[in-house]
Amino acid sequence: MVGVILKGRFPRRRLFQVVVTNVFRYLFRGAARNWLRNLGSAAPALSSMTLLLLLSGVVGLIGFALHNLEQVESAQASLLHVYMRDDAKAADVNALWDRLTSDGRVASVSYTTRAEALARAKHLPGLPQLAEATDSNPFPASLDVRVKNINDVAAVDQAVRYDIAVDPVYPTSYDRGAYQRIQAVLFGAAVAGFAFLVLLGFVAVTVTMNSIRAAIHSRRDEVTIMQLVGAPRWMVRGPFVIEGAITGALSGAVAGLITFGLAVAGISAGSASFAQFAPGVTITVAAAAAAIVFATGLGLGSGSSLVSVRRHLES
Amino acid sequence: MPQILELNAVSRAYGSRLALDDVSLALEPGELAFLVGPSGAGKSTLLKLINREIRPTSGEVWVDGMAAHTMKASRVSELRRRVGVVFQDFKLLPRLTAKENVAFGLQVGDLRVSDDEAAERALDALDAVGLGDRGDSFPHQLSGGQQQRVALARAVVAQPSLLIADEPTGNLDVETSWEMMDLFADIAASGTAVLIATHNVEIVRRLQRRVITLVQGRLVRDQPAGLTGRMAWLASS
Repeated sequence: MVGVILKGRFPRRRLFQVVVTNVFRYLFRGAARNWLRNLGSAAPALSSMTLLLLLSGVVGLIGFALHNLEQVESAQASLLHVYMRDDAKAADVNALWDRLTSDGRVASVSYTTRAEALARAKHLPGLPQLAEATDSNPFPASLDVRVKNINDVAAVDQAVRYDIAVDPVYPTSYDRGAYQRIQAVLFGAAVAGFAFLVLLGFVAVTVTMNSIRAAIHSRRDEVTIMQLVGAPRWMVRGPFVIEGAITGALSGAVAGLITFGLAVAGISAGSASFAQFAPGVTITVAAAAAAIVFATGLGLGSGSSLVSVRRHLES
Repeated sequence: MPQILELNAVSRAYGSRLALDDVSLALEPGELAFLVGPSGAGKSTLLKLINREIRPTSGEVWVDGMAAHTMKASRVSELRRRVGVVFQDFKLLPRLTAKENVAFGLQVGDLRVSDDEAAERALDALDAVGLGDRGDSFPHQLSGGQQQRVALARAVVAQPSLLIADEPTGNLDVETSWEMMDLFADIAASGTAVLIATHNVEIVRRLQRRVITLVQGRLVRDQPAGLTGRMAWLASS
């Protein structure tokens, strides 16, 4: 009787469809069912990874904005405003203009009238109130000097600040070390943000690995049987990796949506001031950040599961 | 006749303790042999080597032409599809019915098997072990003997070249044990080599099959079928 079973031959039909059906059932559907069954042990991983990814998204957007801000500051730091006396003669101003344009360290020179300075101040943060506080125009005319190398700004400042056409009280916009201070603050913020994210990432990966370890332990018998009947290694490991991927993808989707929502809310609510304090952060950038957060979650979830499976599941 | 199982000078150590010491043996297709010896003699270690759960410290293990001793972990599944395994504790999945347990073993080992084919073959296998009418029963609804039959059906449904069993009657009563032995004999008669590790003196003595005796990791006797030995260790173990 048993011999009939051992020697029986069975038809092989629709091979591809059968393989796909079986892979889907044992790999994907099995992983989804087990993930739901083990939701209790997956919950800490889900929440910690969501928090990590949300903070990553927000910190990433802030970092992007700070990078753009640094670019703006860098460009502004190489622009030296040389303020003219209110009673400066045109000949003296022209002489200073000629001296600057012939200076090899200077890239370009332009002249800003008092009226243009007032108009420009009305668009800068904090200055509109000052501009409208008095009937007279408090802003001086200036020569706006674009210096080729930011390290030459101090020397150019020294060359012009005692010129007869220049205001002796407030000669230039040069602020020694301002750019370096900004760079130091940005560098410190970047290091602190990175360290914080590494710490959170370590926590999220560890928690995810432990949740997969718990899942492996709870299904030890099933795993043993699969190994003994000759299930391929990828089929034994696969469902656990997919469980991790589900956790990561779900966390990434939630965190990505919140990141996108926060950025959109900021853009629509803050309008002009948001654009000044978070330059470059647009709807497109927010969508890209959300997509990156989702992909990171997917990678982090499946990656940490793979590590856990390799560590805790003997072949 | 080509050997289904061949061990050449196999040793296996766990740290400084030698669990198997220079063991050589071979099994032909259709042969049924008992592996006996006191506790700690190395029976389970030998079965694990055959199923490539562990590697030998030295020597060669050939299973149906495959070198288990050098096999990479990624290819172990190929070997295990050729080896059916039956355990003392059955190892059935409690949430699956008898039929599903057998079909599960078949499908995860071979993804090309369709649901219909798996169900048909599972029912045939259950029928062959006398449980054709209990396919829809869950393990907790079956007796120990019936659960062991389901485990046997799962082990043979993929048509292995070799069947190994570790104390398959350890949890069964005498009558059920004999029924299991009849099934093992049927399987061997169909051409599958069968190796059974057991402590059951009565079965070994009465079946008059080949008996391989291990003591302290060494193969001390390889007794051909049809002869009976003293097996003094059985009385003392």
